Amino acid sequence: MLFNSVVFLQFFGAFLLLYYLARNNLVARNVLIVLASYLFYGWWDYRFLSLLVFSSLLDYGVARALDRCAIPGHRKLWLALSLATSLGLLGFFKYCNFFIDSAAVLLTQLGLHVEPRTLNIVLPVGISFYTFQTMSYTLDVYRRTMPATRDLLGFLAYVAFFPQLVAGPIERASRLLPQFSQTRVITRQRLIEGVWLMIWGMFKKVVVADNLAPLVEMVFDHPAPAGPMVILGTVAFAFQIYGDFSGYSDIARGLASVLGFELMLNFNLPYAATSPRDFWRRWHISLSTWLRDYLYIALGGNRRGVWRTRFNLLATMLLGGLWHGAAWSFVLWGLWHGLGLVLTRPAQSHAPAAGPRGRLLRWAATMLFVLYGWLLFRAGSFAHIVDLTSALACWEWPAWGRSYLMNLMTFTLPLALAQLGQARAGDLMAPARWPASSRALLQGILLLAIVVFWQKEAAPFIYFQF
Amino acid sequence: MGGTSAKAMTTARTHLRSHQCVFTARDLAAIAGAPLGVLLLLAALFHLAAAAGWLPAPRPTLDMDRTLLIHQADSSRSRLDAAVILVGDSSCLMDVSAPDLTRLLGQSVLNLGLLSYLDLPSFGILVRNYAHANPARLETVVVLLHPESLRLQAPSAYHRAQLEDYLSGRDARATGGIGGRLQTALGANLARGRLVARLIPTPLSGVYGRFYGFTHDFSRWLEAHRGSAIDPQRFDRARAQGNAEYRLAQRLESESRLLRQCVPSGVRLVVGLTPVPRSFVGADHDATCGRILEQWAKWLKADAVLAGLPASMPDELFASVTHLTAEGQTLFTQRLAAELQTAVQP
Repeated sequence: MLFNSVVFLQFFGAFLLLYYLARNNLVARNVLIVLASYLFYGWWDYRFLSLLVFSSLLDYGVARALDRCAIPGHRKLWLALSLATSLGLLGFFKYCNFFIDSAAVLLTQLGLHVEPRTLNIVLPVGISFYTFQTMSYTLDVYRRTMPATRDLLGFLAYVAFFPQLVAGPIERASRLLPQFSQTRVITRQRLIEGVWLMIWGMFKKVVVADNLAPLVEMVFDHPAPAGPMVILGTVAFAFQIYGDFSGYSDIARGLASVLGFELMLNFNLPYAATSPRDFWRRWHISLSTWLRDYLYIALGGNRRGVWRTRFNLLATMLLGGLWHGAAWSFVLWGLWHGLGLVLTRPAQSHAPAAGPRGRLLRWAATMLFVLYGWLLFRAGSFAHIVDLTSALACWEWPAWGRSYLMNLMTFTLPLALAQLGQARAGDLMAPARWPASSRALLQGILLLAIVVFWQKEAAPFIYFQF
Repeated sequence: MGGTSAKAMTTARTHLRSHQCVFTARDLAAIAGAPLGVLLLLAALFHLAAAAGWLPAPRPTLDMDRTLLIHQADSSRSRLDAAVILVGDSSCLMDVSAPDLTRLLGQSVLNLGLLSYLDLPSFGILVRNYAHANPARLETVVVLLHPESLRLQAPSAYHRAQLEDYLSGRDARATGGIGGRLQTALGANLARGRLVARLIPTPLSGVYGRFYGFTHDFSRWLEAHRGSAIDPQRFDRARAQGNAEYRLAQRLESESRLLRQCVPSGVRLVVGLTPVPRSFVGADHDATCGRILEQWAKWLKADAVLAGLPASMPDELFASVTHLTAEGQTLFTQRLAAELQTAVQP
């Protein structure tokens, strides 16, 4: 079920009614959330519900065992069971064919002829998100940074909470889980913010991302695109993926907010970043902090010397790239960002505070770096990366270049200007604090744009495939 | 002990409230209702502006099909110099170069080819419009269809409605269930058809997008090529579906009469078929096409039949089962010019 579909509007309308009726009973509310979330998930493919329930029950049980167990060796075994199962499921569904194909290519290059048999595997939607969420819970309990919950219903609701189930934010149990055992207070301001986030997120998805998608395809599916089009296509993709993913996150946060729940901020003006490090503090924050806390720090972080720190950064970003999908282009994208972090790390630690011109230069350099990263991300294969990069030397302007530019400007400018406004105000929720009449006018205009550009066939969110 | 404690906790949670709403009904109305109110107000303004004629006329060039329909409809109503007009399905549009034919015939030619989704009466409407807009100019109407179109059982109601709505100056009708009706009620079709389509070109999909670019570019292409287009695809026999058992659908008998009625007296009506890839058809295809064409020409009361047009051509000249490539178009146009010169000899 997609947020940008009529069926979701009907689903959420019915859910709100039942949610209101369950207002006096916390258990009834959690039962409702679990059932609704399973319906939401099962709408896509009910067979994979069993996987979601299995993951939830396994980590619930393992965490209880970890909590009770005091013997370090046994605790390690329990943790290994949980991690091996979670990563095993993720590896099977997401990476099995990738590893088979890659091994076959490697063996062929070594002179051994093999005919790989790939499996016909359907990737369960959201598996990367909920697996990382349950893993973080088990790891936190293992590290004793939080106790295991006894509330199975609350835990099932935490794992399956439909606003963020299929594309995040990847919530930490320490933050979200307690909310299911508390009476949620829905204030006027929370309602205002929730409605604003839902409308703004939907605008970013339906108006910005979905209209940029064909522009991106025109360039990235072109067998021989010209250099200027590769640049414009990459800019279009940068806005498309941002509009799509941050739009989803905003809708998720907005839905949660009107239900009285609080989800973490996932995007904080990423295209205002002035270094690769700054970018990762602003882009997909729930993943970058997850990788930092459970991978980078676990590898030793920056405590084991310069070279080990560099290795840890590269390894973390490489795995972060692989998390996005089973393709070498994602690995390369992760590596690219890892290199960016490694190379800019010394400069950042010794650099004096920059003036406005210096900040502008840093921003421009960071954006060039990020944009080339998006080219790697979207290309899909090494050969295509080479083709697109070579095309940058060909400066032909196609006959339809003007229409392309006009389209690109039309659908990126509103978002770029809004982000500029948010950056200047230093407040991502600035419109939610406007006077009621101005806010209503803006929201009404955004709603009209959503209605005008709403597509009959709702386009799926990009991050569903990850 | 643990079980008792857990039971006690569950009991405690049961007595906890799910949530507490610290806002009034008025707050809720203002927060959720006000944006919806503004939306409804804007939608009402759109409807009012459209009804009062304050908005530009509908011109929903929002995809390739509609851009083509609108361009050809506009051409048919424009004052132009063409003495020969071509009407038919997309094979007429893609297989014939009107500028080349103009040069070869020494007579101005206009291609008003549409899509196979439309029926013969729709082609007739364009003929009538052109004759009306250019009195005493029109000398010959050439109807070209692909054998695939001749066996289609029913035209597309959607495409017919799009053409009729545009020609009558109406906004496009609602499509797509509840969502589509809601969008129409909220003025989305007014905004899209009257403003968005005029201001923002829509990218064409796939190989057409890479070749033509956007709707506005496609429109300019049609303008520059006197209504003719090119299919930029490549025919792949392995992927071609269907069969070559061509026949004449019965509906064409009555439709042919309606098309004939649209051709002014004194104007020659010439009819022909466009080719099929050679590997796609059997040995008897030429004979089959000959019989089909003969029967169809009778129904149309055609003044001349282009019996010498090739019923099939080599696969490498095709973009798809129904369309030629640019190279194929050049060759077919030459054959058509030769046939026309013979067929329409006074």
